[in-house]
Amino acid sequence: MIRDNVRTVRRPPLGVVLVALVMLALGETAGAAMSRLKPEIQRYAAARIAANAAAHGFSGSAEYDDEVRDRVIFTAEAGLSFFHLHGEGVGLVLFFASALVAAIVPGRRVRTVLYGLLTLGGLFPLGYLVYGAAVLEMGRDAGIELAERWVLTPLGVSVIAGLVGLWLAAARRRA
Amino acid sequence: MTESDAPTWRVPPRWVLLVAVLSIVAAEVGGGAMARFKVELTRWARDGMLARPSVHGLVGVRDVDERILDEALVKFDAGLRLFHMHAEGMGLVIIATSTVAATVIGNAAARRTIIALLTTGGAGYPVGYLAWSALIPSYGLERSKTIAEWLVWVPFGTATIVALWCLAGFVAWSMISRRGARPAG
Repeated sequence: MIRDNVRTVRRPPLGVVLVALVMLALGETAGAAMSRLKPEIQRYAAARIAANAAAHGFSGSAEYDDEVRDRVIFTAEAGLSFFHLHGEGVGLVLFFASALVAAIVPGRRVRTVLYGLLTLGGLFPLGYLVYGAAVLEMGRDAGIELAERWVLTPLGVSVIAGLVGLWLAAARRRA
Repeated sequence: MTESDAPTWRVPPRWVLLVAVLSIVAAEVGGGAMARFKVELTRWARDGMLARPSVHGLVGVRDVDERILDEALVKFDAGLRLFHMHAEGMGLVIIATSTVAATVIGNAAARRTIIALLTTGGAGYPVGYLAWSALIPSYGLERSKTIAEWLVWVPFGTATIVALWCLAGFVAWSMISRRGARPAG
């Protein structure tokens, strides 16, 4: 867009920008929490596992139960670690992809659909918070299954669809 | 609203972009150097640790010492990797967030403060991983981590986190005030 000989670039709606920023901020905060509050997080995880002993299939044998507990705590921490990593990464993907949509995709309706898909997909990292919490409450396999099927997969598909749509819109514009 | 008066971006100050690009360049160089000089870096760290046996709890028994050295070298390598990863990521975070701050925050003092916090915090934080790695041979695993934590990670990380949440608040406030200012009907 040329305005008064100054080249300006359209920006996406503030709602989309806000979701990207909140994901970045949550990712940063989770990283700091992981580092500073590791013992507290591990204690909390152990307490939740003990409160849901049946879901974790505890046998009453200390050796076996300790192994199960360690594996679940490790998985919950991995969920938090993935949340940190994806919060930062997907926040940036949402920001730059939506900036591209605003700048190069003609047609308000198409832009709105792409913003919707990308913003929904921008919530993908929250799936790893669900992942971490669900393994503590429901057991490792059931928790992972729940997070993957109901949160990570739909939100992941949404961001992929948004990016494919952006690619198609850019290719069509070029043609 | 027509296409021609759609909202547009404002570019952040040039020094901010230079710092961000420098951070990304340093990350790329760091990644390349890690791969190219892996043997030399490992040898340097190992020699440094062997020169200070008491710092690392080396006892002179090969089986015990090798395990301690291996663990320290894994952390040394992890520090370099984390520097590479964080410097790349934070360079992009600086560009994205300072662009939003330049566009959305109307008050000049608040805008300058947020941009300064985002830039210094974002560029400084990854340096902590480099410092951690560099300090391991001289100070040991725990002490080097404590030094990096209090001199770099905590101040620069806090600056980034505070600035990001403030910026999110400014964006939310801007959305609310624009909605309020929109004429009815």
